[in-house]
Amino acid sequence: MPKQPTSTKSGQAREALRRRQQQQAAADRRLRIIVRTAWIAGITAIAVILGVTIWTVANARSSGSAAPPVSGPVIVPPNGTDAGAVRFGQDGAPVTVTVYADFMCPFCGQFERANGEALQSAVAAGTVKLEVHPMAFLDAQSAGSKYSTRAANAFITVASSDPDAALRFNQLLFANQPAEGSSGLSDDRLAALATQAGASADVVASFKEQRFVPWVNQLTQQAFDSGVTGTPTVKINGQPFTGDLYTPGPLANAIQQAASGA
Amino acid sequence: MPEVTAVIDADAEMPGDASDASGEAEGQRPGMGRLRRLRQSNGWIFGTMLFSALLSLTASFVLSVDAVVLAADPQAALACNINAVLSCGTVGASWQASLFGFPNAFLGLVAEPVVITVAVASLGGVRFPRWFMFAAQIVYTLGLIFAYWLFFQAFFVIGALCPWCLLVTLSTTLVFTSLTHVNIRDGNLYLPQSVSRVARSLIAHDLDLLLVTLWLVGVTAMVVIKYVPLML
Repeated sequence: MPKQPTSTKSGQAREALRRRQQQQAAADRRLRIIVRTAWIAGITAIAVILGVTIWTVANARSSGSAAPPVSGPVIVPPNGTDAGAVRFGQDGAPVTVTVYADFMCPFCGQFERANGEALQSAVAAGTVKLEVHPMAFLDAQSAGSKYSTRAANAFITVASSDPDAALRFNQLLFANQPAEGSSGLSDDRLAALATQAGASADVVASFKEQRFVPWVNQLTQQAFDSGVTGTPTVKINGQPFTGDLYTPGPLANAIQQAASGA
Repeated sequence: MPEVTAVIDADAEMPGDASDASGEAEGQRPGMGRLRRLRQSNGWIFGTMLFSALLSLTASFVLSVDAVVLAADPQAALACNINAVLSCGTVGASWQASLFGFPNAFLGLVAEPVVITVAVASLGGVRFPRWFMFAAQIVYTLGLIFAYWLFFQAFFVIGALCPWCLLVTLSTTLVFTSLTHVNIRDGNLYLPQSVSRVARSLIAHDLDLLLVTLWLVGVTAMVVIKYVPLML
């Protein structure tokens, strides 16, 4: 008699145990499915990412070689020098200031904003003969648009016909300098700034001929070869200027000294 | 009473789960089971942590020295160096590079030796109290967030990457992963019972490994896609 309830109880216990085991088994199955799904999804995602990466790199290479490099005869503008500079100002000016700059280089922008006015008025006053070496070594920093080269070509194109407009254009290019790493100013924007600086419509229209690109490439290499290691590099009468380039004053004072010394 | 059973259950579950998982894999490929057990071992976890922290310390040291050199000669910073791999918008000269008024790399010099100490002590068998490991997790999580904020700033805003900064990003990720791994495994994070159980079983099935691999592959792909075409 007392055995009856015990066996019922143990039957219930066994039933409960079995139910728990079943639940556990179901939970395990669910977990296994989730884990397997996650692994499949994860590995698929990794494969897709790798595929896209390889495809992008391979594509970039083929499109890079497809775009014809601008080649052709090296054309030097009338006011270009053998050393690869564009010269502004009167031949008889007592002081020669040489500036190596890249239109994409942020510190060249700081230099120009600090000293552009002073240099321009010194050129106008006949004190300074300004030699600008527009370099294009930061082409890789404009998301494939070769901004340094495009801007340098535009600048030289203007300079070859209208030096005064070119100096204003130079200033506008730095005043509207694009961020390093961005795709730079568009060709249309370059044209608009050149027009604003006073370049004629014919000159602006000829930017796209890229006439001076071979010269830009050559003078960039020339600057490297001559020992320029960074931009902006500024020289006064051939001597490197080592003072503060980024605040107005020091450069103007040094020019003043050189002028009175001469 | 039920609470006590639950605790025992949870404690018993981890080793059971792990052996289940490895046993399952062992049925298919004997080598895999051993590899997976190795990955869950203290030696592997703290070894990874130690190695990554050493990398991170080295990179921080190089970046700190650079920062001091730049501070001594601002002209070196304020020029678009032709010979530098990534030219002028150098990460080192940006405001992001010294967010707290001193070079970020100094933080690495302070924090990584602590990680190295923890890793070495743990390899030697020391078990740190729960609150200690929890605090380490909090602080290192902040470090990870900072490292990725810097990475994204360099990637999208500064537009330049420096190789040593990338090494910091990578090694910080690996230290964080190993620290989180061990803290979930040992239940150091004061997580609710159910969350903790799920997290442990995901780790026992190596899903953390999958997640980190996916993440690092993604980050690497971003860098390669943006920068390799520029160098071609």
